[in-house]
Amino acid sequence: MRKLSLLLMGLVAVLCCRPETTTNTATSTTTSSAATSNPAPDITPATESKGTIGFSALTLTNPFFKIIAENLTKEAKKHGYDVIVNDADRDVNKQAKHIDNYIAQKVTAIVINPADRVTIGPAVKKANDAGIPVFTNDLQCVAEGVKISGHIGTDNYQGGKLAGEAMIEALGENGGKVLILHFKQANSCVLRVDGFMEVIDAYNEGRESGKIEIVATLDGGGLRDEGYAATADALQAHELDAVFAINDPSALGAWTALNEAQKADKVVIIGFDGQLEGKQAIKEGKIYADPIQFPAQMGQVTAQNIIKYLDGEEFAEVELIPTELYRKADAENDPELQ
Amino acid sequence: MKKFLYDNGSVVVLVLLCLYYAIATVDTIYPVGPAAGRQLARQLVAAYGDSTEVMVVVGESASEREFAEAVRSELESSGAAVHVLLADKPATVRQGLVEFASGRQKMDAIATHHAGMQWGPLQADRLQALASEVPALRDVKVHEPRSYRWPTFFTQANLINVINQNSAIFIIAIGMTMVIICAGIDLSVGSLVALAAVVVAIVAEKVSAGQPVSTPAMLLCCAAGVLMCALWGMGSGIVSTYFRVPAFIVTLAIMSMARGLAFTLAGSPEGISIDSAFLTELGTGRTMGIPNPILVMIVLYSASHIFMTRTRFGRYIYAVGGNPEAARLSGVPVKGILVMVYAAGGALTGLAGVIETARFESGDPKLGEGFELQVIAAVVVGGTSLFGGEGRIVGTLVGALIIAVIDNGLNMAGVDSYAQMIVFGLLILAAALLEQLKKYAWKRMSAK
Repeated sequence: MRKLSLLLMGLVAVLCCRPETTTNTATSTTTSSAATSNPAPDITPATESKGTIGFSALTLTNPFFKIIAENLTKEAKKHGYDVIVNDADRDVNKQAKHIDNYIAQKVTAIVINPADRVTIGPAVKKANDAGIPVFTNDLQCVAEGVKISGHIGTDNYQGGKLAGEAMIEALGENGGKVLILHFKQANSCVLRVDGFMEVIDAYNEGRESGKIEIVATLDGGGLRDEGYAATADALQAHELDAVFAINDPSALGAWTALNEAQKADKVVIIGFDGQLEGKQAIKEGKIYADPIQFPAQMGQVTAQNIIKYLDGEEFAEVELIPTELYRKADAENDPELQ
Repeated sequence: MKKFLYDNGSVVVLVLLCLYYAIATVDTIYPVGPAAGRQLARQLVAAYGDSTEVMVVVGESASEREFAEAVRSELESSGAAVHVLLADKPATVRQGLVEFASGRQKMDAIATHHAGMQWGPLQADRLQALASEVPALRDVKVHEPRSYRWPTFFTQANLINVINQNSAIFIIAIGMTMVIICAGIDLSVGSLVALAAVVVAIVAEKVSAGQPVSTPAMLLCCAAGVLMCALWGMGSGIVSTYFRVPAFIVTLAIMSMARGLAFTLAGSPEGISIDSAFLTELGTGRTMGIPNPILVMIVLYSASHIFMTRTRFGRYIYAVGGNPEAARLSGVPVKGILVMVYAAGGALTGLAGVIETARFESGDPKLGEGFELQVIAAVVVGGTSLFGGEGRIVGTLVGALIIAVIDNGLNMAGVDSYAQMIVFGLLILAAALLEQLKKYAWKRMSAK
């Protein structure tokens, strides 16, 4: 019992210690405006780090977010800011912890890919209350009563429409049976499939033959192994002509399943993202085409928007980058794949 | 002294970790708050004299307001003229400057915090450019409070964070300690957190019909969540004791069922928002400066420590874990105790689920992912034996602190996230090894 009370007392002592009171005793050599020694000090020298930006990425096991992180870091560095990158591992709890940490560290700005677009709200609100601007990229936050200073992402709906057009182009006038590998947990993927369906529905309207029929919509988890398993299951039930996968890993999983069933040359795959392995697969003819996203641009623009925000300049508070369709011909001329 | 060290090996580990992070996270701190404001005001008086004219430019948050207010009151008490501009974002600073300064002859200085030093409108060249429009801004200088070097790990805000953000883990660890002392295990805790969160949210949605939920109604919703987790816990207890299915398998099955049920009930993978003043207060409010989740946690730890050391039931739990046959022969209701322990573990998990729901103001079926491993790690690092019969609530408190500190410190020290996983694993292994070594050494010492 004594030990417990000691511990609890220690806990309380910790909670009561106020490092701010040490302000006056701790002298500093790094202060940028040491007004006591110089009554008319200069403005901060440019060599010193101007501050830190905290980035809680959705998951760093997906190269897409790694690219965002790298480009954000590089661009911020150019303007004199350091970036801390943390992996939220798709876990809103972890992401909330990251935001708490950033607030404790008094970062200049916070960037997140929300792990849950609603649940992350209270954590963002805390950052708002601490006066730290919050930016999002790729995924948007829709929680009520929170202030997001800037967002940049892909126009997923437009991307879905492009995927639909690519599907029509690939299947030709004959139409066919299509499997969709979905990932409903991500709102971005819901938008992609909505855009895709709009184009396909418009194509089918008033058509007697040669319709494009969606025979199954399965969860591919956005992952290679789950995409593989779902496609293998679908092949048992349907004679497929095409697959639309909401990202590259699940598209490649689908290809493995088709290849095993010796149907890879008969079934068309449309992917999404344009990650390096996806582009490579398009070059090899495994995937017909991808609407590609621009993660590098997302990272750069996010950093630039933070700088603009601090500078007091205007910028688009919500910016959606349109995707572009990437086919085999593009892959053959892509310097990235040489 | 030696005995103290042997008894409290994990405390030593904790202290060493904290010391390490204290060194590893030393960084420049740019203070914002009343103390910093007063310091800056004194700095300005020293530089410009008593009758200076100063403008304070900061953002709108509570701490920035306090800062501005401190600068104002300190400067005004020495006769200076002060104007405060609270800007909602840097872009509105320029307009505020123009509005304030255009009617004036001369302004000596602008006071802001470190973040403000980076704002475009406060840069020297921009101020000079503005001076052609507003002469008072000619030669105006921008000042910030003095910064200092201090470990970012050892700030009050961060130390509160470390405990507060892990309070659910801390609370579940109490129940897990009892379960593991009984030589059992419960893998379902993470999923039960999610299930509790979703149940609380759904019940709240039903009773509120779009309105904010009243406090008594919200308490009932929370009770529903806790009760349901207690029932699931009781279920694992019954199946594992009366049907002799290993607890590992029973709770593994429940882990899957509860997670699936949480997603099914929620109907979508997204969180269900709850609008309740009580819940917001529980999750993010503070009492006497201490976050409410920490207070709940302190109460639970004190109560369970007394329960485990001072009550008959507490002693029964140790007896059942140490040697069930001997316990049975001495008249301890072994099976009943086991079922009760699992039910208590479930209830505590449900309570942790309520705390998480309160923190996020929504019932999210994705919550609690991976909690079981963190909790088991905390309990074992805290010195509880997986073979049963041995362990202390205080030990678990220290173990959970170690896990929490490792996690937080790695973030604060800016360790790369891939490397974090490796270091996290290594540190847990080291802490557990040390605990074993300590026991071994203690045995040898007492044998002599």
